[in-house]
Amino acid sequence: MRPFLLQVAAVTLINLKSIPQRFWLSLSTVVAVALVVMVLLTFLAMSYGFQKTLSGTGAADVAIALRGGAAAEINSAVTRDQVRLIEEGPGIDRGADGRPLTSAELYLVVDGVKRSTGTKANLPLRGVGRDGANVRKGITIQAGRMFAPGSNEVVVGKSLASEFAGFDLGQTVKLGTSQWTVVGVFTADGGVFESEIWADAPAVQSLFKRENYFQTVRARLESPAALASLKQYVESDPRLKLDVKTEQDFYAEQSGQTTDLIQKLGWPLAIAMAFGALAGALNTMYSSVAARAVEIATLRAIGFGGTPAFIGTLVESLLLSVIGGIIGAVATWLIFDGFTTSTLGASFTQVVFSFHLSPALVLQGVGLALVVGLVGGLFPAIRAARQPIVAGLAG
Amino acid sequence: MNDFVLVFKNLFRRKLRAGLMIFSIFIAFAIFGVLASFERAFNAGQELAAADRLVTVNKINFTQPLPYSYYGRIAGMEGVKRVTFANWFGGYYQDPKQFLITFAVEPRSYMDVMAEEFDIAPDAQAAFVRTRTAALVGETVANKYGWKVGDRVPLSSSIFSQKNGARSWDFDVVGIIKPKKPLIDTNFVLFQYEYFNETRSFAKDTIGWLVLQTTSPAINDKVIKTIDETFANSPFETATDTEKAFNKAFMAQLGNIALIVTLVVGAAFVTILMIVGNTMMMAIRERSREIAVLKALGFPGGRVLRLVLGETLLLALIGGLAGLGAAALVTTAMRESLANFVPGLALNAQIVVLALALMVALGLATGLMPAVNALRLKVAAGLGRG
Repeated sequence: MRPFLLQVAAVTLINLKSIPQRFWLSLSTVVAVALVVMVLLTFLAMSYGFQKTLSGTGAADVAIALRGGAAAEINSAVTRDQVRLIEEGPGIDRGADGRPLTSAELYLVVDGVKRSTGTKANLPLRGVGRDGANVRKGITIQAGRMFAPGSNEVVVGKSLASEFAGFDLGQTVKLGTSQWTVVGVFTADGGVFESEIWADAPAVQSLFKRENYFQTVRARLESPAALASLKQYVESDPRLKLDVKTEQDFYAEQSGQTTDLIQKLGWPLAIAMAFGALAGALNTMYSSVAARAVEIATLRAIGFGGTPAFIGTLVESLLLSVIGGIIGAVATWLIFDGFTTSTLGASFTQVVFSFHLSPALVLQGVGLALVVGLVGGLFPAIRAARQPIVAGLAG
Repeated sequence: MNDFVLVFKNLFRRKLRAGLMIFSIFIAFAIFGVLASFERAFNAGQELAAADRLVTVNKINFTQPLPYSYYGRIAGMEGVKRVTFANWFGGYYQDPKQFLITFAVEPRSYMDVMAEEFDIAPDAQAAFVRTRTAALVGETVANKYGWKVGDRVPLSSSIFSQKNGARSWDFDVVGIIKPKKPLIDTNFVLFQYEYFNETRSFAKDTIGWLVLQTTSPAINDKVIKTIDETFANSPFETATDTEKAFNKAFMAQLGNIALIVTLVVGAAFVTILMIVGNTMMMAIRERSREIAVLKALGFPGGRVLRLVLGETLLLALIGGLAGLGAAALVTTAMRESLANFVPGLALNAQIVVLALALMVALGLATGLMPAVNALRLKVAAGLGRG
C-alpha cells in the first residue's frame, strides 16, 4: 500500500507543479468556475436575505386575525365590532393597566420615492392602536420619539428611511390632504416592520375615510400555546369570519413565493453556466494530459501504475475548481453580502432587505465547483490512465 | 482548397476541443437569449405604451380609489379625446392561488380606448355592452382554463364581497380578446363595472384609475397639468402620468432587472472569452510549424490573419446560433407557465440582431491575439518548433 501511496503522491506533485506551464488555460478554468459560483451565490444570498427579513418578523406569541381567506393585510377587512369581540377572547396577555394587549390596525399603500432610482414606489402606511408597539417584541425607537396619539405624526422604520427619500427625522410628508411629521425612527430586529410607516390608527382612519373598519387585529398571547384557544373562540363565533394565525407563520408564508422565484432563477442559470465552465475545465484537463503524455508514459515505463496518473489528473482538476469556488465565494461575500435593496412583497409594498451569504450557502457554491472539477477531471484522468505507453513515449 | 475549407478543417481537426468550445459558446448565448427575452417582456409595458395615452391615479397611491364622478369630469376637459376607467377586482378562479388579473370596466369606452391593442369580434363587443353579467376573456386565460363563449364562470375576489355575502360573482363569457400586435398581453378578464358596483358590499361609486387618450401627444403635459390642478386640494387628489412613465415606474418597483440581466450575461461572456481565447492561443501555438509552412509557401500575412480569425468567427457563429435556437425553444416552452408573471415572453428580431453582433465581436476578440501571434511568427522559428 505504501509504495502505491508514494506513487500517487509523487505523480500528483508532478502534476500540480506543471500547472504554471498551462497558466493561462488553468486560470481561465479558475475564473470560469469562480464566476459560476458567484452567480449562484448572489442569487442564493438574495433569496436568503429576503427570507431572513420575513422570517425575522413576528413572534410565535403574537396572533394576527385577518378576514377569512385574505392572504395579505391589504386585502383584509375587520369591523370595529369584530375587534371588540377579539379583545374579549381567551389567551390574550394583559398590559400593566389590565387591558388586553391588542392592536387593531390599518394597512394602506402610499407613494414614496426610491432614493436609488428616483421612481415612485409603494410604501406601507400602518395605522396602529395605542398598544401597537407593545404587542410586538423588539420595537425600539432609535431616534426621536413615538408619535403622539391623535396627531398627524408618524414614525418610520430604519430601512424605509434609508431607502426612500423624504422620511428623515423632522421632515414633513404629504399623504393625501394632510401633512405628517416624521417624529421618530424605529428598529424591529431587522424585520419587515422596518420597511413601514407607522401612525396612530384613528388619524389614518379619518384621512382615508375608513372610520368603521380596520384590516387586522394583533394580540399578544399569554404563550404560543394560547393560540389554539383563541382560534377555537373565533371559529365558534359566527360573527367572526376571521382567520387567526401567529404573526410568525403569517410572514413566513409571505416569503415563500419570492424566495422560490429567486431560487428558481438562480439555480438553472448557475447550472447552465456550470456546463459552460465544465467545457472549459475538460479542455484544460485534456490539454494537461496531452502536454504530459511523454511524462506519463515514461513513469508507466519505469513501473508506475495507471491509477496514480488517474488520481494526479483528477486532483489537479479538483484543485483548480476549488480555488475557483473559493474565489467566487469570497468575491460574492465582499461585493454583495450586506447589499441592501428592496422589492415588491406579498403585501404589494416595498420590502427592504439585505443580501446575506451564510456558510451553508457557501458550501452549496463550493459543492457546485467540486462537481465541475470532478466531472471535468474524470474523463481526462481516464485517458491519462489508459494511454498506451509506447504511443506516449513516441510523443 | 479554398480558405473556408481550410478554416473548417483546422477548427475540427481536434473534434473534442472544438466541440467543447462550441458548447461553452452555446451555453453563453442560450443564457443571453433567455435573459434578454425576459428583460424585454418585463419592459414590454413601456414599449407598447401609446404615446397619446395617460393614466390618472389617486395621488396617495394607485391602490387608493377615486370617485366615479371623475370619469365624467375628465371626459369634459379640453384635449381629452376619450377616457375610460377600471377597477381592480383581485380575482381568482376556484383557488386563491389561481389568481386572475380581472378588471371591472365601463365596456364601450374601455374597448374604444384600447382599440389599437385588442381584437374583439363586433358581436362580442355588442354583447359585452348589452349583457349585465358579461365578461370578455383574454385569449391566454381562455386557453388556460378552456373557457369558450357561452360558458358561465364563477370568479371570486380576494378583496370584495357581494351585498348578499357571497365572495364570488357569476359571469357569462361573451367573447375572447385577441392581441392585435405581438407582445400584447391577454392574460386578463374584463367585466361590467355597473354590475360590480351595484352588487358589491362596500366602496360603492369608487373606481381604481382612469385611462385617457389625448387629442395629440404634444399636449400631454398640458392635459396632465389641467387634470391634476383641477383636483388639487380636494379629498381625492390625482397624479396623472403618461402610460409609459407609469408602466416604467411600476416595473422599477420589482427591482433593477436590467442590472441583474447585464451582470449575469456579463459573467457568462467573460467566462467564454477566457476559455475560447486561451484555447485558441494554444491551438495556434500547436500549429506554428504549419503556419510557418503556409508563409514559406508564400501565403501573405493578411491571409494567415484571416484564416485564424475565420476560425474563431466560425466557432462563435456555430455555438452562438445553436444557443440562440435553444433560447427560442426555452422561451416558447416557458411562455404559457409564466404568463401571469412575465406576459409575452419571446425572442424577437432585436435580440437576434444583438446576438449576431455579439457573435462577431466574440469571434474577433478571441481570435485577435492568436491571429497576431500567427502573423508575427518568423518562418524559421516556426519551422523549428515541434
